[in-house]
Amino acid sequence: MIQGPDARASMSSSSSPTTSVSTLQTSDKIPDDALLPVRMLNEFTYCPRLGYLEWVQGEWAENLETRQGSFGHRVVDKADRKQVKPPAKVEPKQQANSPQPDEPDEQIHARSIMLSSDKEGLIAKLDLVELEGDVATPVDYKRGKVPDVPEGAYEPERVQLCAQGLVLRDNGYQCDEGVLYFIASKRRVVIPFDEELVTRTRQLVTDFRATADAGIIPPPLEDSPKCPRCSLVGICLPDETNLLQLEPLTDQDNSDPTRLPTRLPKSTDPPRRLLPAKNNALPLYISEQGAFIGKSAERLTIKLKKEQLASVRMLDVSQICLFGSVMLSAQAISELSRRGIPICHFSYGGWFHSITAGLIHKNIELRIQQYSAAQDDERSLKVAKQLIAGKIKNCRTLLRRHIHDKKSPVLTKLTDYHQRALRVTSKESLLGLEGMAAKEYFADFFQLFPNHPALAVNGRNRRPPRAPVNAVLSFLYSLLSKELTVVLQAVGFDPMLGVFHTPRYGRPSLALDLAEEFRPLLADSAALMVFNNGEVNADSFIQRAGAVAMTPAGRKSVIAAYERRMETEITHPIFGYKICYRRILEVQARLLARHLLGEIPEYPSFVTR
Amino acid sequence: MRSVYLVAYDISCPKRYRKIYPIMRGYGEALQYSVFRSELTDTELHSLKELLWPLLNHDEDRVMIVDLGPIEGRGDNCVEFWGDPIVTPHERSATII
Repeated sequence: MIQGPDARASMSSSSSPTTSVSTLQTSDKIPDDALLPVRMLNEFTYCPRLGYLEWVQGEWAENLETRQGSFGHRVVDKADRKQVKPPAKVEPKQQANSPQPDEPDEQIHARSIMLSSDKEGLIAKLDLVELEGDVATPVDYKRGKVPDVPEGAYEPERVQLCAQGLVLRDNGYQCDEGVLYFIASKRRVVIPFDEELVTRTRQLVTDFRATADAGIIPPPLEDSPKCPRCSLVGICLPDETNLLQLEPLTDQDNSDPTRLPTRLPKSTDPPRRLLPAKNNALPLYISEQGAFIGKSAERLTIKLKKEQLASVRMLDVSQICLFGSVMLSAQAISELSRRGIPICHFSYGGWFHSITAGLIHKNIELRIQQYSAAQDDERSLKVAKQLIAGKIKNCRTLLRRHIHDKKSPVLTKLTDYHQRALRVTSKESLLGLEGMAAKEYFADFFQLFPNHPALAVNGRNRRPPRAPVNAVLSFLYSLLSKELTVVLQAVGFDPMLGVFHTPRYGRPSLALDLAEEFRPLLADSAALMVFNNGEVNADSFIQRAGAVAMTPAGRKSVIAAYERRMETEITHPIFGYKICYRRILEVQARLLARHLLGEIPEYPSFVTR
Repeated sequence: MRSVYLVAYDISCPKRYRKIYPIMRGYGEALQYSVFRSELTDTELHSLKELLWPLLNHDEDRVMIVDLGPIEGRGDNCVEFWGDPIVTPHERSATII
């Protein structure tokens, strides 16, 4: 079946079959940035949610497949410098001036050509175009092998190629078929652009545009075999989102009328663990005063007075934490931010004050929702309730694990506060409950430390901490809020605007909000660990006129304990798979995003048993 | 999850060698001259290949990559050292300086 320029003309002039097509055609002047990249059309065809995440929310992640894909394209990614004339019919005036080529049927191979079509609303980067006169054949490079399907290729690839064909046609070429070149098989597969494929492609363009304009993210695929190899799986959280959409997590909230309608259960399988339990890269802490961090090819070298202290692969670094006067070379800063590795700056005393990172996250949709939730008392209270209730529950769990008297009244009181926190109707009463619960909790928590005269403990105090345990706790809370600031920023939030803590200059309120439920789990238990294991002792602290500070060695022990805690793998209480705490922080931040974007009815607080 | 790879190479031109050596250092620890032990995920291994590919002269140079298996398992204990051994870290932990 051949579709020349005639077929195209009849398509555009015919009365539109659907209303959405007509809207597309009437608005002939699509703004440049609204042109749909055909690459994104491929993603949308593969999974509508993936297309939405990448195109609308600007999410991106790499995995082996995407890397292999771009490596396979190295030949066709370089534009060649030879001139490619547009087809004769389109610009006759321009052609008249230049001498007509004598051999019109000479075959031209043009690589990496960017073309767009206002009529189709598409923009395409064509790997390779084979031109013979006015006949153009797009060739698209694919990393894998030829799939064993009757059509020669899966739908997303065929649609992408056809969309490239449509763009070529709109630019005046005759284009009736395209070629998919499968790198692993070294084979070309010819895909004819028949009526059916063209209609399907146009339909998908319309659907994608409508979905993007409506601003509603398509639901995740159900238990799909596509998910495990998708690079965005850790952002999309398909199985987790599906599970949390099904039922509310807390039975106390059943009467809440604001809850979104939940979908009927389709699968009762537990979520698959689609993201690795642990991160490969880990933080790098430098508290050696006067140290200098430089970049040497693919490594970071840490030097003190020209003597090398350490050299680490950049692959192994997830973030850098600097305490006090530590220097960084401009090359190191630039390379780290290019790789998305944040640099966290602390004062010598451990006060987390700033962060150096790359460009801000593209997901503006999320930030808009975050700001509107922060403005809306009802919405922010709903999240804050879960956070504080989760914190109280985790405090209780920590005490129950450590105190001898399992019938202690504090446990009953904390259970009561937990129940009441879920029922409060104002932020003030939530704040009051949190304060009362913290008082009860700390009264017993400080009993758990060794009764050593040098480590005398008299309850929680801070700014400045007046006892060793308090110094350690303050420092750990600072590390935790650093961790969450980094996580929230990476997920696309603005860490400075919270739902519970009031915004204050330079204070990462949202990080502090999210830190609430993790304080007992990560900071308090790490503090217990360092004291009870004897990792710190009286020599690790310096008394300075009533205020207590840590020595450099003491601080290193505390950081080590904190890092051990972060790497601890536990079974996730809702999802049931093994995962380490550092990952849990990320998953919780993503779930908060899913909640604020309206996908899951409730933010599930993280509580352990 | 990361696996252990043994990467060895012959580079016949010192100019190319000087470009390749620092890249190799970024992906592993030198056990001997031109022999590296690298702990990499499959994506990281792919990045290494991507970086090396354009630097090599494919007629004169040679690179060998041997997959020794996962870190917790064969990968960590299948290399036997004689003479002065190089200690490679067995436990992954954050660097604190």
